[in-house]
Amino acid sequence: MITAGIDVGSLSTKCALMDDTGQVLGSDIVLTGGSNQKATESTFANALKKAGVMRSDVAFVVTTGYGRENVSFADKHISEITCHAVGMYLQNPAIRTILEIGGQDSKAIRIDENGNVENFAMNDKCAAGCGRFLEVTARAMGLELSRLGAVSAESQNSIRISNTCTVFAETEVVSLVAVGTPIPDIVRAVHKSIATRALALLRTVGIVGPLGMSGGVALNSGVVRALEDALGTTVYVAENPQVRGAIGAAFIGRKFVSMAV
Amino acid sequence: MQSELKVSGRVAQYQNLLQLIGESTTGTARDGLPLKASHARSIVNCHRLAEAYKEQSRVAFITEQFPTELTFAFEALPWNIESMSTMLAQSLDVDRIFQLTQERSVSRDLCSFLRGPYGMMLADCYPRPDVVLTNDQPCEGLAKVIYWSGQRYNVPVIPLHTPNTCDEGSVQYVAKQLQRVMSDLERVFGVQLNPDSLRASVHWSNEARLYYNKTINILRQHKLPGVSRELQEIFGMNYFGARQNVQVCKALYEEAVELTNAEPVKATRVLWIGQVPEESHEVLRHMGKNVEILYWAPLWHANSIVLDEDNPFRSMAERAIQYHWNAERMGADLERICDDFAVDAFFIASVWGCRNMMGLSPMIRDIAIRRKLKYLIINIDLVDRNNYAFNHVKNRVDAFLELVQ
Repeated sequence: MITAGIDVGSLSTKCALMDDTGQVLGSDIVLTGGSNQKATESTFANALKKAGVMRSDVAFVVTTGYGRENVSFADKHISEITCHAVGMYLQNPAIRTILEIGGQDSKAIRIDENGNVENFAMNDKCAAGCGRFLEVTARAMGLELSRLGAVSAESQNSIRISNTCTVFAETEVVSLVAVGTPIPDIVRAVHKSIATRALALLRTVGIVGPLGMSGGVALNSGVVRALEDALGTTVYVAENPQVRGAIGAAFIGRKFVSMAV
Repeated sequence: MQSELKVSGRVAQYQNLLQLIGESTTGTARDGLPLKASHARSIVNCHRLAEAYKEQSRVAFITEQFPTELTFAFEALPWNIESMSTMLAQSLDVDRIFQLTQERSVSRDLCSFLRGPYGMMLADCYPRPDVVLTNDQPCEGLAKVIYWSGQRYNVPVIPLHTPNTCDEGSVQYVAKQLQRVMSDLERVFGVQLNPDSLRASVHWSNEARLYYNKTINILRQHKLPGVSRELQEIFGMNYFGARQNVQVCKALYEEAVELTNAEPVKATRVLWIGQVPEESHEVLRHMGKNVEILYWAPLWHANSIVLDEDNPFRSMAERAIQYHWNAERMGADLERICDDFAVDAFFIASVWGCRNMMGLSPMIRDIAIRRKLKYLIINIDLVDRNNYAFNHVKNRVDAFLELVQ
């Protein structure tokens, strides 16, 4: 019995296939673009191909993420808060607090010893401090998103950037570039501003036990470093952090199938 | 500022209101009213709207929980500037209302429950009041907005100050003010108070309250989706003292009794704490499919106070003080509500810019934690669509619903 989890996010759509032992058979990520349905079809097909299984082998599909209700073939929709909690718990059951930063939102989630969500908080007014924030500021500096972590490691000076609004922060970055501020210092400041905002969110739910990070921004070593500096502790970064929600969704699908049986 | 703004006659003001309804961009599709009692309330609302725009009517602007028995004693219609704005927001061009406030340099970050009434007055679509009656019980900001309305329409403003503490001295202090309000109203309307009118309005208030309280008692034992919402509407209308309100409360009570014979509802009971949007709001519709929503304000202890029909000022004063947002009293009352109504979870709606909710949220959260109740604090703008995206809010609401179910 194979289940699929599909996380339809604002920037990317992710798919994970899981067998009845809990083994991830294959996963895939595509850009969401303008059509949730197309992105879902595409990543689902890619994941099936990577796993070497047929669509008819998939017994249950759980969708999550912003576009979760726009997928015609979904059997169940679950919020990504629950899915990320399960996805992280599967990989590291010791984790009790999760920071998930995706394209347009960030979430602090506290889970119990069984992986159940106890409490959560999300950014509300603005997407500052999320993946899109990094994307916009990287573009303003003429950098590839994937290079931000390495570039910030070269920083020699600490400067400050506002984290109130993505567009205002971009303006600030452009101004700093214009006056010749070293790029590594600006990138580090951007990471620090994300960490400050994330820390406030984490403290809303209360930081308990080891902290794990998932979501696309967890791939940025600069943000992880800034967060560790702010917390004074190490942060566990999940394997395939972008796909954690989809993996959690696939696992939840297994539960539904076993309940039906 | 005052000279720039035109104040029309009530007929023109009614036309302004209709024009804003015509320009509404809100979708018309909505769920049908769930209860028969809602129809009774709608009819009363239509009646009071029509009456308030007649040139010869007496209209008093009021703020939340002002003792409306006093206005009915003078045959004046109380016009709650906040709840009327929330009610009308579902059918008006509400964007235009908020735009008007922004054009006057009022930030979008401020509470939309304050910007709403301010915008309605700027649009000149509220009926011109004869007098403005204000109290500082729930919101000091609202009291300031309504003070401005006195200037806007060039009518007297009669304030009521309620102390934070509830002791004999405070009760006497407020009772004296209430007596002074009556003398002021005599001057405003140019008539002497007829004691029988006051007695009658207090009597109608008590009779309506009797049904209101009996309905609340039913909710202690039964989950009846929709009934709490009607209580919220009655609370927000604050039409106590009007004979028609007795019918509204009675209709709800009788329907609640009828509903207790239906199949018991097993839904999780979520207490909605904080400002409440209009009844067809998508967040409420979405949550209502999954849980039973119980509204906090209609259950407050202050609502249960029955007035002394022979000497009403003292009991009115006590009620006014009990309505004051005293954090200590509200905390104790919230604990009582949790016990009496077997609340499963809190949904804490903290409207952007509301200092009251900002101050109360930590206390409410602590109660939830102590009682091991699941809770969601959601910072939201429930009225201004420019400040709000359902998809983003829905994500949090869905996660909360998964948590509580």
